[in-house]
Amino acid sequence: MLEIRNLYAYYGNIEALSGVTCHVKQGEIVALIGANGAGKTTLLNSVCGLVYARGKVTFEGNAITQLAPEAVVARGISQAPEGRQIFAPLTVLENLELGAYLRYRQRQREAVSQDLQRIYELFPRLWERRQQTAGTLSGGEQQMLAIGRALMARPRLLLLDEPSLGLAPVIVDAIMETVIKLRETGVTILMVEQNARTALSIADRGYVLETGRIILSAPARELLNDRQVTRAYLGKDYKEFTEGR
Amino acid sequence: MPDWRQEIPSRDELELVQLERLQSTLNRAHRQVKFYRRQFDELDLRPDDIQDLTQVTKLPFTSREDLSKNYPYGLFAVPLRDIVRIQSSPGATDNPVVVGYTAADLRFWRELGARLYRSAEVSKEDIVQIVLSSGLTNWARDLKDGAEHLGASVIPFSNLNFAKQLMVMRDYKSSVLVTTPSYARQLLRVREKMGLVAADFNLKRAILVAEPLPSALRAEIQAGLQVSISTAYGITEVLGPGLAFSCPEETGFHFSEDHFLPEIVDPDSGERRPFGLPGELVITTLSTAAFPLLRFRTGDLTSLHPEACPCGCPLIRLGDITGRCDRIFSIGGIKIHPDQIGAAIREILEGHVPRHLLRRGRDEALDYLAIDIAVDELLFSDEVKCLEVIGRRLRRHLRENLGIEARVSLVENLPPPDQETIAIS
Repeated sequence: MLEIRNLYAYYGNIEALSGVTCHVKQGEIVALIGANGAGKTTLLNSVCGLVYARGKVTFEGNAITQLAPEAVVARGISQAPEGRQIFAPLTVLENLELGAYLRYRQRQREAVSQDLQRIYELFPRLWERRQQTAGTLSGGEQQMLAIGRALMARPRLLLLDEPSLGLAPVIVDAIMETVIKLRETGVTILMVEQNARTALSIADRGYVLETGRIILSAPARELLNDRQVTRAYLGKDYKEFTEGR
Repeated sequence: MPDWRQEIPSRDELELVQLERLQSTLNRAHRQVKFYRRQFDELDLRPDDIQDLTQVTKLPFTSREDLSKNYPYGLFAVPLRDIVRIQSSPGATDNPVVVGYTAADLRFWRELGARLYRSAEVSKEDIVQIVLSSGLTNWARDLKDGAEHLGASVIPFSNLNFAKQLMVMRDYKSSVLVTTPSYARQLLRVREKMGLVAADFNLKRAILVAEPLPSALRAEIQAGLQVSISTAYGITEVLGPGLAFSCPEETGFHFSEDHFLPEIVDPDSGERRPFGLPGELVITTLSTAAFPLLRFRTGDLTSLHPEACPCGCPLIRLGDITGRCDRIFSIGGIKIHPDQIGAAIREILEGHVPRHLLRRGRDEALDYLAIDIAVDELLFSDEVKCLEVIGRRLRRHLRENLGIEARVSLVENLPPPDQETIAIS
């Protein structure tokens, strides 16, 4: 579904991604794990067109490299960004409606209101708080809102950036269960997580990113047992090994 | 027929999966193995300069000598505390080749071993008996692990003699025999002497490994044991069995290219050869963690055939292994370099290496190495007994160190080379 080949991204002179190749198949949950600064978010942002990137990204067979973010959303990819980034002064409902901004312009009002119902079914909390301003929601609720808002664009591929960040374990579990439910409804998921264990426990496959390069790719259950992964996640490097030899 | 879709990507997906795994292997090798990093640096290459599979030719080869030179742990790509198995085998130089495995690697090899069995239509209902010589312990262990992983009942290799093995085979109702072609033939001989016939056994299938299987021998074993036959290709001193396994359509070996990238190169120039043409098999690992190998020269001569196979397995095929492009030869499936024999002689004779000739010999169905040593002035001794001692020590040395049977003759003049001659030094 999504194919990324030899992707490079830069922040000024700093190479944030150094030739990343990976893919996501239709119906999969794929986890991208790695330490802080490994390039995980950059990878998602490159796919979305938020960061300039060199390389080849194709979605459902069509090149989407260097498309504008709204064009990427129109193709069927949307992102729930790290740190939620909801519009705090707006209500829950308004936030969700904004997620369907492109579709309002395409006069799909009826379909949008159906989707709204769907989101409320998925997250009953959001229905309860639909008139509340988003800034007053708890962290977990804000994350639900961010995911709900991304879903309002009716993506076939959902990009989740650190959905568990700063949330209590029990809320994280609830979010992960929602991700599994979403997959059952036909949404494919590429998830970036520092919380490797959580992400890998629900993913089919995983990639481990280290300083802009993929160093491991394997079925998620294998990565869960991999000691290198624990280390990559903790952000340690291999110095202790090379120096000790 | 096994359903490969569960474990092997379709041909459309395969190329991308291989590229992903290749790039992550290069990243790990570059980051964690000094030997490889130096090679990249010398060529002014970065791991991400390999942007598609054909560009792997930018990388230098890795030879058996490189493996021995980096003895013992120089090529390991993970810390030793992550290594759960250390396996060694005689190398091309004085140093052995040492290979490490992480827990994930062992799981991976067990799965590949199980794939080999599945391709041979062996299931968890089967009783698998492994009959291999002590020189093939790497094959024996990995094939045991693979069969256990599959869930079959396994009778692991042991030092029982052929008659006892046959008794076990009959009484335990073994349904699958894993052995070498020459051992299979020897089992047939011994069975005949014991007055037993195929109907006394429950054997359904034989998996013949480690040696080439000429069609005449194949027919003889097939008829004698009344079984269907599968074969496998592996380089067990470096990479386990399950590298490639025979196709039920008998169109060669399906090569596990989802985990290993094969190339065929001209053995002299190192240039890549197109599909279908013979040359040396070169392998890059895509999935192993502890011991990544970049463009390892196997020394085996074969060819690659990408055409779709009627058996339905999507993996590319290796043609027959037609020989070797280096001086390594095999006795009963055990690979030996002539220099190893020279080194053994030097050790026994305390530094002196007289001219010697290596021949392949056969006692009943079993291969042995015949060594003719020219008696020169330094070696000349009136005492025949002393010469006998040399022969006995050399035989024991080779059995203990390489796991092969040898016969040593001390001769005045080396005989002229014939068909069975392997090397003269």
